[in-house]
Amino acid sequence: MRLLEPLVPDPRAPLARLHPMAKIVAALILMLALFITVDLLTSGVVVGALLVAARFSGLPPRSLMARAAPLLIGAASLGIFNAVLSQSPVSGAAIALRIIGVSLAGMLAVATIDPTDLADALVEHAHAPSRFVVGALAAFRLFPLFSREWDVLGLARRARGIEADRTYVDRLRAFPGRALGLLVAAIRRATRLALAMDARGFGAQPCRTLARPRALTLPDAVLVAGALVVAAGATSLSIALGTWRPLIAF
Amino acid sequence: MSSRVSWRTVDIVVTAAIAVAFGVVFWAWNALWAAATPAFLAVPPAQNILYGTWLAAGVVAGLVVQKPGAALFAELVAASVSLILGSQWGLDAALSGLFQGAGAELAFALFRYRRWHFTAALLAAALAAIGAWIHDTPLYYAELPLTDQLVIGAFMLISAIVIAGVGSWWLTRALVQTGVLAQFPSGRSQQRI
Repeated sequence: MRLLEPLVPDPRAPLARLHPMAKIVAALILMLALFITVDLLTSGVVVGALLVAARFSGLPPRSLMARAAPLLIGAASLGIFNAVLSQSPVSGAAIALRIIGVSLAGMLAVATIDPTDLADALVEHAHAPSRFVVGALAAFRLFPLFSREWDVLGLARRARGIEADRTYVDRLRAFPGRALGLLVAAIRRATRLALAMDARGFGAQPCRTLARPRALTLPDAVLVAGALVVAAGATSLSIALGTWRPLIAF
Repeated sequence: MSSRVSWRTVDIVVTAAIAVAFGVVFWAWNALWAAATPAFLAVPPAQNILYGTWLAAGVVAGLVVQKPGAALFAELVAASVSLILGSQWGLDAALSGLFQGAGAELAFALFRYRRWHFTAALLAAALAAIGAWIHDTPLYYAELPLTDQLVIGAFMLISAIVIAGVGSWWLTRALVQTGVLAQFPSGRSQQRI
């Protein structure tokens, strides 16, 4: 299995330096603006704004393009699918552009956030329960291990002649057994990890202090305000020109 | 009562680890989904017959850990994994995880977190599919007539019941036999050989 290369943004870029919470809220605002309507104009304005934002994300344009390629294919096929079945190319294009906007907003926000920063922000600002956030972060760190384990399981099974790996039917048939093997390994490792965390007093104290407190600053507020302006501007422009089509009407 | 509801560290970490392991499984499944696309070109909605795998994480976590909130927590973590690793669906993956997890959670809540039998697994899978359908339809298939939307929903439901329902039940049974669930109430039903 080949995992996608993680997108690594330039840490000095304006978007990369902002607070994770601000980026998530800004992305959610834009996603909401797209979610409530199906029209080309709103989606077009928001996608345009996102492309400008991408310039400031510090993400290398080439790897961003590589990451966006499957999205474009997926959005295009869903758009064609809708266009054929509803017999209207315009609404198909609107669906495709809308999916691109929703995904791009989330992708820009998430690609510029470090998982540890995200966990810190969730505990500090969203007041998420710290045991669950830290527990999830600990498990998340096992991902590279698990994906290696998946490869090893596949090789081991093939060496034993279980997994021929020739046709899709073979791969499909071998899937449940391989998944079981991975789950056994994952649960075993997680049980030991939990024991080690307990031994260090994880979650024993009801009140935790923050290791890396991080206040929201003025640029963070500017980002959220900017997202609000784009969302409200795109929506009101679309309403003014009469192209806005709320979803609930279908 | 409190031991049935409150979460130990091992519950939290194992639930999250099951979700992360499923994150790997989803990745492999994505490749299969993409490879299978040509086979479904004639009837695109039928491809949703493969949908059930994405709903299995919550059901398996619920059956294994048997805590209120386990299914929702697992689906959220599984979605965040694909999100942080750069799923092309971005932040929206977390939203769909929320819908799917809430569906599975509702099923276990209907049994008041006391019954973890085959029926509960099937219901959890079915409700997770309905949650996924509620999320997907307005976003991906908004321009389709209602009948087509319902056909897609039916394929998702069948797939969920077979893969996420029966499949999760089989996975959990098999896990019990390996003995890795000794820490959990679900592991107590392990049989001596």
